[in-house]
Amino acid sequence: MLKIENIVYSIGDFNLGPVSFTMEKGDYLAVFGPSGAGKSLLLELIAGLRFPASGSVCIDSKEYVNIGAQNRPVGMLFQDYALFPHLSVFDNIAYSLRLKKTNRDTIEKRVKELSDYFSIGNLLKRDIEGLSGGEKQRVALARAIAYDPLILLLDEPLSALDDDLRAEAVDTLASLKRAGQTIIHVTHNRNEVGTLASKNLYMSGGKIK
Amino acid sequence: MRVRNNLNYTHTLFILLGGVILLFLIAPLAGMFLSVKAPELFATLGDREVSESIFRTLAISALATGIAAIFALPLSYILARKKFPLKGLLEAIIDLPVMIPHSAAGIALLGFISRDSTLGSLASSFGLNLVGSNVAIAMAMAFVSLPFLINSAKDGFAAVPVRLEQAAETLGASKFRVFTQISLPLAKRSVVSGLLLMFARGMSEFGAVVIVAYHPMTTPVLIFDRFNSFGLSYARPVAVIFVAVTLILFILLRIYQKRKC
Repeated sequence: MLKIENIVYSIGDFNLGPVSFTMEKGDYLAVFGPSGAGKSLLLELIAGLRFPASGSVCIDSKEYVNIGAQNRPVGMLFQDYALFPHLSVFDNIAYSLRLKKTNRDTIEKRVKELSDYFSIGNLLKRDIEGLSGGEKQRVALARAIAYDPLILLLDEPLSALDDDLRAEAVDTLASLKRAGQTIIHVTHNRNEVGTLASKNLYMSGGKIK
Repeated sequence: MRVRNNLNYTHTLFILLGGVILLFLIAPLAGMFLSVKAPELFATLGDREVSESIFRTLAISALATGIAAIFALPLSYILARKKFPLKGLLEAIIDLPVMIPHSAAGIALLGFISRDSTLGSLASSFGLNLVGSNVAIAMAMAFVSLPFLINSAKDGFAAVPVRLEQAAETLGASKFRVFTQISLPLAKRSVVSGLLLMFARGMSEFGAVVIVAYHPMTTPVLIFDRFNSFGLSYARPVAVIFVAVTLILFILLRIYQKRKC
């Protein structure tokens, strides 16, 4: 499914790698470690937002190491959710589908399906401003999986949530896992992925330990 | 209580000092408006040479702004997003037209578009004489006013979180779509402010325009021409009408910026 082989990346004085690991379809991989370990950098390399100096990023037996984020079958949930503030909730979720020139009926059907799944049907016409942290997280998740990416990358998905919302958000992630979504979840807090992860990796100083 | 009194004295002093500046800005304009009599004003409004010059000035400035924006906005985006060698020097060059005398800018442009120059001789081969044309006016207007657009748009693009652009990329957007669908709409207010500032600055340009094209006359050149040929009372009504047009544009800009906050 996903095969990372010896990827190496340097930025300033920080060196990441060589990093290697594999994942099977439906795996929930937790990557944890202290701040500054290179976890988010690793996600950006897998997403295609950065390109490694060497190594291989293979998804479903296809090499993606030199292919940009635009053309990788990878969805990403950012730490701050990175929702588009000038678009409504509906337009945020439909964004990737419109880029792929999906017809209007299919877009409406898919957005409804996702909004029902994440219980955000009542928010579709709302602006992003004014949504709670939990609502933003669910909208961002719906947006990230709208076009059925093979792998979903989660960058500290629970860190912006208070304790009450965190349990609810963990349930949402658990339901995605049950649905068979392949997930890489990056966190500095090992406890938050205790019940979710089927595999764990510990990162420190840019290396997997 | 003592601190409060000190604060009040300070603020009173500041208001008085600021009032002098406001008076300095308002008095000449108010004096000009008040010294023009209604019959003169209406006669000038009906003067075809004046109305044509105002239309020409507004149209050329708008066109120059629109065309320059096609080139300036990508440059603003690159300046906001990329680090590269000599970037500081490039930014200083962009600010140069604001600092140099505009007559000097006109002289520089004249050398650039005269028949002896590469561009001028190329235009001549197509039967175009750039000097003294609407094209020369547009170039002079753009030359002196571009920094306003580039800097305003650059600040707007820099304020758009990179994360939003990255999120769009992971959703399948090309770099161009990221620019048009995410960066540009989110920087819209700064970009529009920059466009309005460039337009307003371009239309009021005299120094550079008068050197590259005395004719056809833009309104600032017409005001100078009438003052030079017939005196103050003949130039003043034209100036009043043109300043009124400029004021309306700036008031609209202020309203737009206030809505932003």
